[in-house]
Amino acid sequence: MSFITDALILGIIQAAPLVLAAVGFTLIFYLNGFINVAYSETITVGAYFAIVFNSMLRLNFYLAIIPSALLSGVISVVTYLVVFRPAFRRGVESTEMIILSVGLSFFLRYSLRLIFGSDLYSLDIVSPTSVRIFGVGITNIQLTALVLVAVISVALYLFIYRTNYGEMMRGLANNEVLAMVSGINPVRVSVLIWFIAGVAGGLAGLFYGVFSFVSTLLGWKLILIVIMVTIVGGIGQVRGALIASIGAGIITAAVTLLTKPLYGEVILLLTFIGVLRLKKSRR
Amino acid sequence: MVQFLSGYVMYTFSSIVVYIALATLLHLQFGVTGIVNFGVVGFFGLGMYAFGVFLIQYHIPYIIAMLLATVLTGVVALGLGRVILQLDSQSILVATLAIATVVEDLATSEKWLTKGVIGLGTVPFPFDLGPYSQVAYFLLALVLTILIVIYAYRVESSPYGRLLLSIRDNEPLAQSLGKSTSRQKLFFFAITSALMGLFGTLHASNVHFLVPRMVSPGVTFTVWIALILGGRKKVLGGLIGTLATIGLFDFVIETFVPIPASAQSQLMPVIKLWIYGLALMLVLMYRPSGILGEKKL
Repeated sequence: MSFITDALILGIIQAAPLVLAAVGFTLIFYLNGFINVAYSETITVGAYFAIVFNSMLRLNFYLAIIPSALLSGVISVVTYLVVFRPAFRRGVESTEMIILSVGLSFFLRYSLRLIFGSDLYSLDIVSPTSVRIFGVGITNIQLTALVLVAVISVALYLFIYRTNYGEMMRGLANNEVLAMVSGINPVRVSVLIWFIAGVAGGLAGLFYGVFSFVSTLLGWKLILIVIMVTIVGGIGQVRGALIASIGAGIITAAVTLLTKPLYGEVILLLTFIGVLRLKKSRR
Repeated sequence: MVQFLSGYVMYTFSSIVVYIALATLLHLQFGVTGIVNFGVVGFFGLGMYAFGVFLIQYHIPYIIAMLLATVLTGVVALGLGRVILQLDSQSILVATLAIATVVEDLATSEKWLTKGVIGLGTVPFPFDLGPYSQVAYFLLALVLTILIVIYAYRVESSPYGRLLLSIRDNEPLAQSLGKSTSRQKLFFFAITSALMGLFGTLHASNVHFLVPRMVSPGVTFTVWIALILGGRKKVLGGLIGTLATIGLFDFVIETFVPIPASAQSQLMPVIKLWIYGLALMLVLMYRPSGILGEKKL
């Protein structure tokens, strides 16, 4: 019994930042229809902004969250306007877009490396207090992350399915020409989506940075799981990404509790390949 | 002369030759058949580690260990191909990337087989010819790479090659003409992936000590950047691209440009990958068919 509750609670806590990253990634995937590998750097950048504001400028951790998240959104918009939009206009196909995003990912990652060097950074947090829920110790920062994830997920869901902008985005993703004829400004909607996706990715990176060291490889280590979760959850399905992320968290936690941490990733990836196949054959 | 024939120059040349083979094999998979294999290092690394384990842990003779490792890689590729090759290319991309990550994870975690981060060694050169062992090894890698390039040339002008091209351009159409596209694709993928494994076994002799860092995704992306830069639809695209990336940075600049030793080890690898990323973006935006361009119709 305790194994099941441990796996569930640890899984949900570990999944919290993953949910944010997966939801942000899903938005871009849904809108533009390609796997943006450079999203890994949006995640990394969030963690580094937090380092700059929190560890270097000595801002309170909770205050540092706000500018870090907003600036990650700005970086995401810049990658869209400077690289991806011009590439779309030049007619680069979707497979080539993925390779292009790999190039951008390298460029950004090693730019960060040139700026910050190869040192490992860690966030400056006043000793976290811990509470016990069903016998599992949870820190207050983990709880903050969980609450923020819940709030942001609900807000995003309402945004996509209940607001004007959400409707415009769905229209743009389904039929760009029809959307433009209907008077939707594609650039404005796209910029907004890339901004929101960037904020979500930045927050994900920031919360990962709380529990581990911050290095330039932070986002890269996560992006494969993020991509897998998004594809398995269903393209453009915020709900699907949410459920798949939590599932991924629970599988990893359960396997890690039973054996070695690396097996968690191995079993998760093999499960995902199996799910990809099953989804295809059901269609 | 003997000094030139062993040591660092031969090591670099051998690595370049191995990368040329990998890029040419990727040309066959992606440029000709349209399979988006983002797990090059998975097959390369599987061959490399399987060979190391057979040779060092089980004392299997060199050539047999090499063949076993190649066959094992092919079997794994066949199994994976059966599961994923009929999916859309984005799913193939992530699934192959995932398999490469699994190989890297297992190389790290299965210490009883691979010795983990401590390193598995020492893998000797294939021929023991005293001071000429290394040059003999280089020639073997060179000959095998030339064979791969010749094969790539011949396949393109053969009926089989045209079938592969039709799979890339319009698989349902090829299928409607009565071609067993999924089977051909599967076997071609398995064989080219097994050959990536074979070059992994060769590379093991060059590095002597196998550590998990050698099977990181960096290998996959170096090969991809080389192929895209050189021209993915041209047989020599992989060769030209590899010379323009690894050849330029790991040999020309490292040998002939005076860089302070501290910057050499710390800064150069970072700048190299930074430029790779930038070059990849610029090529895809402004010249998607690479240096060699595309065949005119």
